[in-house]
Amino acid sequence: MPEPASDVAVEPGTEKKTLIGKRIPKLDAPEKATGLARYLEDLKLPRMLYGKILFAGRPHARILDIDTSAAKAMSGVRAVITASDIELVPFGYGRDNTALKKDKVTCVRDEVAAVAADTPQIAAQAIERIRVTYEDLPVVTSPEEALADGAPIIHSKVPDNTPFRYDYSHGDVERGIRESDVIVEDTYCLQRVAHCCLGTSGIIADFDAQGRLTVHSLTQVPFLYKHDLSRIVGIAPEKIRIIQPPIGGGFGSKLDVHPFEPICVFLARKTSRPVRLVFTREEEFLATPTRQPMVIHLKSGARKDGTFTFRDVGMTLDNGGHTSWGATTPWISMRTFSSLYRVPHVRQHVDVIYTNNIYACAFRGYGNPQATFALESQVDQLAAELGMDPLEIRLRNANQPGETTGQGMVLSTCGLKECLETAARNAGWKEKQSAVSGQRSALGATAKPPDRQSSIANHQSSVVRGIGMACLFHVGGGAKIYRSDGCGTMLKLDDFGGVTVLTGSSEIGQGSETVIAQMVAQELGLPLKNIQVINNDTSLTPWDVGVHASRTTFVAGNSAFRAAREARGKLLNAAAARLKKKPEELDLVEGNVVERPSGEPLESIGKIIRGLHFGRARNELIMTTHFYEPPSTPPDEKHMGNISPCYAFGTHVAEVEVDLDTGVVKVLKMCAAHDVGRVINRLGIEGQVEGGIAQGIGYCLCEELKVEAARVLNPTFTDYKLVTTTDLPELNISFVETRDPAGPYGAKGIGESPLIPVAPAIANAVFNATGVRITELPLTPERVLMKLNQARADRATSGDSPSTDAKRRKKG
Amino acid sequence: MQDLIDKLELAFTVNGERVSVRVAPQATLLEVLREDLELTGTKYGCGEGECGACSVILDGKVVNSCLVLALECEGSEILTVEGLTANGRLHPIQKAFVDHGAVQCGFCTPGMIMASYALLEENPSPTEDEVKRALEGNLCRCTGYRKIVDAVLSLARGGASDA
Amino acid sequence: MAAIRKYWAPETLKEALHVLAAKDAAPLAGGTDLVSRWTKGLAARPKIVVDLKHVAGLRGVRRRNGSIRIGACTPLSEIAADATIRYFEAPVLAKAADRVACPQIRNRATIGGNLCNASPAADTAIPLILLDAVLWLTSCGPNGIWTREVPITEFFRGPGLTIRRTGEILTQIQFKLQPEDAFIAWDKFGTRRAMEIAIASVGVALWVEGGVVVDARVGYGSVAPVPLRGRQAEAQLVGKLLSSEVIGKCVDAAREEIAPITDVRASEAYRREVVGVMLRRMLERARPDRQT
Repeated sequence: MPEPASDVAVEPGTEKKTLIGKRIPKLDAPEKATGLARYLEDLKLPRMLYGKILFAGRPHARILDIDTSAAKAMSGVRAVITASDIELVPFGYGRDNTALKKDKVTCVRDEVAAVAADTPQIAAQAIERIRVTYEDLPVVTSPEEALADGAPIIHSKVPDNTPFRYDYSHGDVERGIRESDVIVEDTYCLQRVAHCCLGTSGIIADFDAQGRLTVHSLTQVPFLYKHDLSRIVGIAPEKIRIIQPPIGGGFGSKLDVHPFEPICVFLARKTSRPVRLVFTREEEFLATPTRQPMVIHLKSGARKDGTFTFRDVGMTLDNGGHTSWGATTPWISMRTFSSLYRVPHVRQHVDVIYTNNIYACAFRGYGNPQATFALESQVDQLAAELGMDPLEIRLRNANQPGETTGQGMVLSTCGLKECLETAARNAGWKEKQSAVSGQRSALGATAKPPDRQSSIANHQSSVVRGIGMACLFHVGGGAKIYRSDGCGTMLKLDDFGGVTVLTGSSEIGQGSETVIAQMVAQELGLPLKNIQVINNDTSLTPWDVGVHASRTTFVAGNSAFRAAREARGKLLNAAAARLKKKPEELDLVEGNVVERPSGEPLESIGKIIRGLHFGRARNELIMTTHFYEPPSTPPDEKHMGNISPCYAFGTHVAEVEVDLDTGVVKVLKMCAAHDVGRVINRLGIEGQVEGGIAQGIGYCLCEELKVEAARVLNPTFTDYKLVTTTDLPELNISFVETRDPAGPYGAKGIGESPLIPVAPAIANAVFNATGVRITELPLTPERVLMKLNQARADRATSGDSPSTDAKRRKKG
Repeated sequence: MQDLIDKLELAFTVNGERVSVRVAPQATLLEVLREDLELTGTKYGCGEGECGACSVILDGKVVNSCLVLALECEGSEILTVEGLTANGRLHPIQKAFVDHGAVQCGFCTPGMIMASYALLEENPSPTEDEVKRALEGNLCRCTGYRKIVDAVLSLARGGASDA
Repeated sequence: MAAIRKYWAPETLKEALHVLAAKDAAPLAGGTDLVSRWTKGLAARPKIVVDLKHVAGLRGVRRRNGSIRIGACTPLSEIAADATIRYFEAPVLAKAADRVACPQIRNRATIGGNLCNASPAADTAIPLILLDAVLWLTSCGPNGIWTREVPITEFFRGPGLTIRRTGEILTQIQFKLQPEDAFIAWDKFGTRRAMEIAIASVGVALWVEGGVVVDARVGYGSVAPVPLRGRQAEAQLVGKLLSSEVIGKCVDAAREEIAPITDVRASEAYRREVVGVMLRRMLERARPDRQT
């Protein structure tokens, strides 16, 4: 039974001494800024070989023969393996993937063979000498093709090509329809995007003399990874050690065991030498699964006073040629459709369908960016239909703290209303709205977007501005995706007040290591520089389920803070005995035991520790442990349940400029307000929001991994467009601190939130500026111009006010 | 065959030290820095000059080392991120990146720092637009660039804001 | 995949031409197009690489007899910063050089390399078309070193193809000093501001007297197999008053004479659209009587 977290370490009057809420540089920043941090590709082991993979390069084919003789004959090649050389253990969420493919390939990035050689150059040459004979099979390029009569069966165990279907409902959608005064229906298409971690994927596998395997891995989930890998390579888990060097980005790309990883282990085993396998950037684009593309059909309604009545969701997912976490992203999409804003009646049906396209894994937001794009675009549309302010309609339906949502989520804290008001105020929402209506009347109330002749003739600006908003709802402390959502911490103090914190949680660049150190330093009243966090070796650290679902600050923080609190108790008791006081009369501040409330230092903490260690009557080292399991419940078979101990909320307001002649959308300003429970590291949390906004802008405006005929068209940074410094808008970021009672110091998670509402906020701003709603991402200039021209053409033929793609039905 | 290609002698200065290595004619500067000289601070991000992770200073100019053949650097002076730290003390640019939260995963950081160094050498008081332009060839996926720009602006002579 | 076996860095043009006459020898300037293609195996590596960057006389911006002469091995960042070019003689060329990729690329990529690489999107090509530039192709003949001068509009033959022969080096780019009152503009269009291979680029040079266009040059990038001179568009302007109607006809002619393709960056239709928008906006700015 978890004890309630409390805030006692921050006493009134001692705010200036607290670390909580301060701007703390990351502990590992100096290593990284000096170039001394050793990433995986910087590591070399003695006699290390270099691995490389032969990818199929074709989307659907039977493998008839693989001739590796020429590759094997090359000087410097130490091993060449195919599926016949290894035991094929199926893995992945759908158990439909193997490290190397034996009978057939089902997408272009399928792994067919691999080599280990003395140098990366030799390995690359050897790959080119492997001759594979294929019999091409008909290619399935879309879910529609996969479901058509006579469609090829992609995986024999799933003859209808539909490995998963999900259904969810709460309330009664038919009743909701009847109660609606306005109903909107639309289809939203969300594209494939790539994680684009700056550091490409890689692994080093190394066996010792006793057959124990050490893997240097970029995994975000070391303990689950170890368990999975053990099964795949046939080595007992206690003989596997996972070491995690600093990674060059994660964002969810590293929650799987990917085929290249057991492949590297097999190469190391075959050669009895360490093998390092690192992707080139092109391999990274081709062979790292993407965000799950989705086609979302959404119908929703409201009463004329703006209260929401129902949502009816249909989702079709292109599962690609193998199953990874993408297939499960609808579970998180569901949570937004069912629970962002109050809505009494919700129904959702999802079909997950095999194709021969590349497949999808987890990516920051995990189905929520897609769902929120659809939902918040449609909420905006409902507001437009009702003639309501988009801010008003959201406030009217905002979730309140203490509520339980239709899907069983308990909103212990909820700052949605404050986020809405804060973001709107900071963005100048009311003033900007009136400016936009002024702009509309200058162009003619129904003449948006203006046709070209009139704007030229009137020398009117072809650039218009708009403002739009969107909110987010996401888990704030994990999503109970596994039997345990917990994290273990072991803590020890040395004789001089140095603290080592062994945490099962991982640092993936997001700053969790620094937050943990902050909390421990705060609890123990020791300087931050005394704290060392060890988090990268499964032989040393206790179990953690892994970095995902925005859980690390909450779960690992709670675990570390409680271990530290126990150590604090031991210190205070020892100090009390030594100083002949009561523990509650003492505090630990800046390396000293101090008297309360005066703050007068009485003794150094180091002396207390040494007194315990070398005491005459007793000898004790301060070592504590804590395994924290959050008080959440896994979803039941109806997808109901309070899967997280707390939930994150937020609002983004985007101000954009649209060039009506070229379709270029420029984001001028983003105002973000996030309910984070409590800010622990202000520098770190701002960085999370700023980074999420940049990813969201890319998702909205320019990123797309283009797949045509099951092949990737743009696997390079030249043609896969990330935002650069010159695309950075003005930012205004606020935090709402709702002090969650279950959170460490009241904190909730934020890792994924900042990405989630960005695209719909921008798309809603584009609608505000132009009167045109676009329901497909990305909003490239070409797509925006096409939709603007379509709207102009529609208006010319129908003489109506600008229509959108939405079908509307008003209750008669 | 790789082994049969004659390696050629290359002599140049890296981080103030005269260095002599034997390199394959097609080896890039990036490969030689990372593999032969084991200066792994400079990163491979894409190998085609699209991400800036491999940025170094070559004869006073910031360049993508993945696009430079090592042999082109005969007699040249190279500065890498490791060359900025002196006697274990952070260069002001490195310190600014640390203090401003401009480092998350850190993979883009060396390249960002070298591009920033090049800017400040040429223009000690850049405007925000000038900073953004100087870094437009360096991709970052974690930070959203804001704190990186703030870190560089804090170094502008005449004391820009401490964001 | 063959390997590079030798690397030469000649210091005189004569030496460079002599080495380039050998089989399997290829010139290297900035390397920003070539090196990654060699590394990734997208282009055959030459056996002998001839680095032109140390050859005397191939770098720098000079005034000569009423012309500007730019050494082919001048890096784009140098051209962008050169005061003569940037503030006086060819601001559009400085602008184009400054909009290529990013500082790391601009510090290495040379104007000669940008032209010889012959991408239809080559940023410096259109400004040079507006400036009516002439390219010097130098080779070693039976009578010694010999240079032929080629107008830039004749230089490009197709994507990646120029009339430069094996053994020839592009040594200089030359254009006449422009009269002060010429209106010259250039812009490029892409999905984001930096690191862009243009979806389309447009340049316009106009000489206007008493409101009438006496001469015009128009150029388009990324919308034809080569950087293209827009003669049909020009024909709509010369001898006319720059009115809305004339501009409209010019834009129509431009949309007709370009030959954009659909590729991973943009569709043919969109490129046509964007060229028209950019051209119209530039010509509107050139109108002396326009409302502000």
